[in-house]
Amino acid sequence: MLKMHNIRKSYRTDTIETHALRDFSLQVNEGEFVSVTGPSGSGKTTFLNIAGLLETPTGGQYLLDGEDVSSLNDRDRSRLRNEKIGFIFQGFNLIPDLNLFDNIDVPLRYRGFNAKERKKRIEKVLEQVGLSARAKHLPAQLSGGQQQRVAIARALAGEPRFLLADEPTGNLDSLMARQVMELLEFINEWGTTIVMVTHDPDLARRAHRNIQIVDGQVSDLQHGTVGAAREIA
Amino acid sequence: MIGYYISLAMRSLRGTPILSTLMIAAIAVGVGACMTVLTLNYMMSQNALAHKDDVLYAVQLDGWDPNEAADTANELPWQLTYQDATALLRSDIPTRQVAMHRFGFTITLDESEMRPFTADARITTADFFGLFDVPFLFGGTWNADADFSPVQQVVLSKATNDKVFGGENSVGKTINLNGEPFTVVGIIDHWNPSPKVYDLNNNPFADSEEIYIPFGLHRKFEIYSWGNTNGWSHSNEEGYEGFLQGESVWVQYWVELDTAAQKEKYEEYLTGYIRQQKEQGRFQRPLKFALSKPSEWLVLNEVLRDDNRVLGWLSLAFLLVCVVNAVALLLAKFLRKAPEAGVRRALGASRNAIFIQHLIESSCIGVLGGLLGILLSLLGLGGVRQLAMGRIDQIASMDWLMVLAAIGLAVLASLLAGLYPAWRISRTNPSIYLKTQ
Amino acid sequence: MFELKPMLSALWRNKISALLIALQLALTLAIVSNATVIVQDRLEKIARPTGIAVSDIISVTFMPVPVNYDMASAVAADLELLRNMPGVMDATVTNQIPLSGSGSASTYFTEPNQEIGGENANYYQTDEHFIDTLGLNLVAGRNFTRADFDVIGPNDTYEPRVAIITQKFADVMFPGEDAVGKFFYSGGDGKPREIIGVVERHLGAWPSWSKAGQVAFYPLLVTGNHKRYLIRTEPGQRDVVYKQIEEKLAERDPQRVIHLDTLSKKMAQSYVSDNVMVKVLSAVMTLLTFIVALGIIGLTIFWINQRSKQIGVRRALGATRANISRYFLVENTLIAGTGLVIGMAAAQVINHFMVNQFSQPALSMATLLICAAILLSVSVTAALAPAIRAANISPAMATRSV
Repeated sequence: MLKMHNIRKSYRTDTIETHALRDFSLQVNEGEFVSVTGPSGSGKTTFLNIAGLLETPTGGQYLLDGEDVSSLNDRDRSRLRNEKIGFIFQGFNLIPDLNLFDNIDVPLRYRGFNAKERKKRIEKVLEQVGLSARAKHLPAQLSGGQQQRVAIARALAGEPRFLLADEPTGNLDSLMARQVMELLEFINEWGTTIVMVTHDPDLARRAHRNIQIVDGQVSDLQHGTVGAAREIA
Repeated sequence: MIGYYISLAMRSLRGTPILSTLMIAAIAVGVGACMTVLTLNYMMSQNALAHKDDVLYAVQLDGWDPNEAADTANELPWQLTYQDATALLRSDIPTRQVAMHRFGFTITLDESEMRPFTADARITTADFFGLFDVPFLFGGTWNADADFSPVQQVVLSKATNDKVFGGENSVGKTINLNGEPFTVVGIIDHWNPSPKVYDLNNNPFADSEEIYIPFGLHRKFEIYSWGNTNGWSHSNEEGYEGFLQGESVWVQYWVELDTAAQKEKYEEYLTGYIRQQKEQGRFQRPLKFALSKPSEWLVLNEVLRDDNRVLGWLSLAFLLVCVVNAVALLLAKFLRKAPEAGVRRALGASRNAIFIQHLIESSCIGVLGGLLGILLSLLGLGGVRQLAMGRIDQIASMDWLMVLAAIGLAVLASLLAGLYPAWRISRTNPSIYLKTQ
Repeated sequence: MFELKPMLSALWRNKISALLIALQLALTLAIVSNATVIVQDRLEKIARPTGIAVSDIISVTFMPVPVNYDMASAVAADLELLRNMPGVMDATVTNQIPLSGSGSASTYFTEPNQEIGGENANYYQTDEHFIDTLGLNLVAGRNFTRADFDVIGPNDTYEPRVAIITQKFADVMFPGEDAVGKFFYSGGDGKPREIIGVVERHLGAWPSWSKAGQVAFYPLLVTGNHKRYLIRTEPGQRDVVYKQIEEKLAERDPQRVIHLDTLSKKMAQSYVSDNVMVKVLSAVMTLLTFIVALGIIGLTIFWINQRSKQIGVRRALGATRANISRYFLVENTLIAGTGLVIGMAAAQVINHFMVNQFSQPALSMATLLICAAILLSVSVTAALAPAIRAANISPAMATRSV
């Protein structure tokens, strides 16, 4: 499903070059639920942005669903993002002045579905997350857990093969966090591959596999490809 | 997708009412000021004789003071002397030719309660109506022999006929001009070219004359021009005849030359005429004459004055400031919405999609600003009309072309204003907005 | 204490926004300063002393209907009637209406039988009442007397024997000399005209003429198909008299068409294009300054919102309210100052173009500096309210997320 080989990513400001990822290699198989952990500043977010086609790597190869996406242009990357990838964020990132219906509508618009198809899909995912009755509400009128369920609904509306979650429960209390986690597991059981970045070791353990990123490299204990141990400043 | 973008734009405008109002107002004021001035300049630049621009020519001859050139744009007197005008009328080369000038009469009617009034008159040869394409409602022009002998006939404007005869077909009736009876031979339909290209000597935006009188009546009524009369030499002859035969210029002259060959022939004729006059001691300046097309005549007479050009440039500069203003405000607005654009990017919007979405938001501001700008320019034109004390009533109005131009200008201005902010937001890295801060 | 260096680097990071404000101010200064010189020039033109009691004068033009009309007797009877009307100070007959844009001029010489090197003057054919009617000030010599007055037909050849001229025309014809008693001549003519008097000032028929103010008056009535009167009323009586004149004249002789105007209106019509320029340019300048000020307010608010957390941090670290306000005002001054310096250069370039292409007046450094100072104060004033608001941001902002 996802295969990264020797990915490098460096950020350049006027004076300093920072290496966020170095010789980063990883494979995630179809249907897997992978959790990604690591200390702050280790490169988790950079990995997620590259995996989600929001950023391009400085070097290396990235195959998504068998297709080399390292060198695609913005339009094709946007199309892939729209069709194959769903995002869930810690801060939910719902668009505040759009109601739930219109929020979920956003990716479907870019997909180019007609009005009927969009309506059908929006109603379906709203029902799946149990918020059908609140389609006309604005995000601010919902609790955090409900907002995150809307965000998940929005991510699922386009039926992506691959879901990227960045601390999806970080802003939620434990009860809501458990509900959201159960929802993700349910989605995964229906065949969607999930990669989830988290701080929470309990959540990380609930995934099929846990990957640790340390200083821009994978330290995958299960697969024994330990990166060079480095001290973290 | 465009419909989606427009609905997003309207939603976004409603979301920040103060900023949106500021931007719409900036564009509206810029467009309003610009269109007020440009409409005036556009109307002042109209050529009512454009359809005959290739065949009509204003005639100028240089019979001016040997010591000093005439003080005009091309150093030729604007008008001709009476003696030259009557001499040129004898040429049979032009298809049509007109010698004319402004005058005024009192108008009375026998056995009528109508109060006497003065009417602006044009003393002209019969070809006037054909040469300038003046439409007749009733009757027609006088016979050409009235251009050389005193025939008391008159052609009325529609407004005069309405006023004096209640709009009926008055051909054959008599009205008194300066107390003398004249027979009505024709009534022209509404005809009021502005600028008054055929007579630019005084106010080029004045109305057309109210009555038209044959050219053969000068001696009988001792007619002086009510337009400009300019002279440089004192006549030796006494009395009115001395004035007619003098070197004062006061007759406007137009010819219609339909072919190049005809024009060439007429130029030869004018050359010959001036040579012949030189032999008689007149035309002591170097041989020079000019035939100007209506479009050239308008430029030569500076109908669009320097002041108007200054205002034209100024209003464009004004619009430029409004555009820069809108760029700054749009940039602020778009950057504030950068997180939303980040989310949209994550959900599959390409950079182009974000760019177009924001450009459409800019043009919505443009359309709204343009509509408001049209209202402002109508107000502006009303204001200028007031200020101009009735001199430019005819031209201080917008036609459909100008209304469309106003909207076009507004959309263009706002697209221009939106270009950089939309580009900037579409190039912003979305990932920085997706992280919780 | 002005934290100039960190301020500059903050500006550098927001360079596009800062540049846009500076650019607006630069363009505005270039436009406003050039418009100001034009407005100044036109206002000076309109405010020139006319030498005439403009607000008390009514002009009358009349055209008789009958063919053989006794113009001389009609004029005498009309003037008699007008001068005896209550509220009327004096009345005179004239060939032209002052300041109306329509009149006669001729070329004059100090020697007989000349053809080149003459001077132009606007001329009046009037009578001995013109000084009192127009409210002119006779500074040398004497007024006309009835004995100087002549009546001729429109086609008669005639040369006036005496003339009164304006001081300006006298200075042009006889620089540094007393003009009274001197003679002058019409072109190609040997008949002398004696200058018997000089009036201080009179602008003449065409206020926009380059030789406006060069005027000669002759005691003469040329009968023609129309004539004009000027009527001076007691101060404040003009509108009362105005309503009666047409009726009185028509009563005396109904066989004519009479047209009345006030001299104030004629003058306003003559200055109409200058007036349009003044009003339109003033409106443009006001609107422009207003729009730029609104833009500055909008952007400063946006800027402060963007940095509200930063401001909270500064406050938490001990910055006073005054420090915060001052920061934004100094920042605004820096941007505006840069823009105005660029604008001063642009204004000069544009003015050069205006002078050469459109014969507009030159821009003085003083005007430019005054305009720049005004715009600077507008800019700072516009930033003031948001800057004060910024000072009210709570230090608690520092600890708040989002």
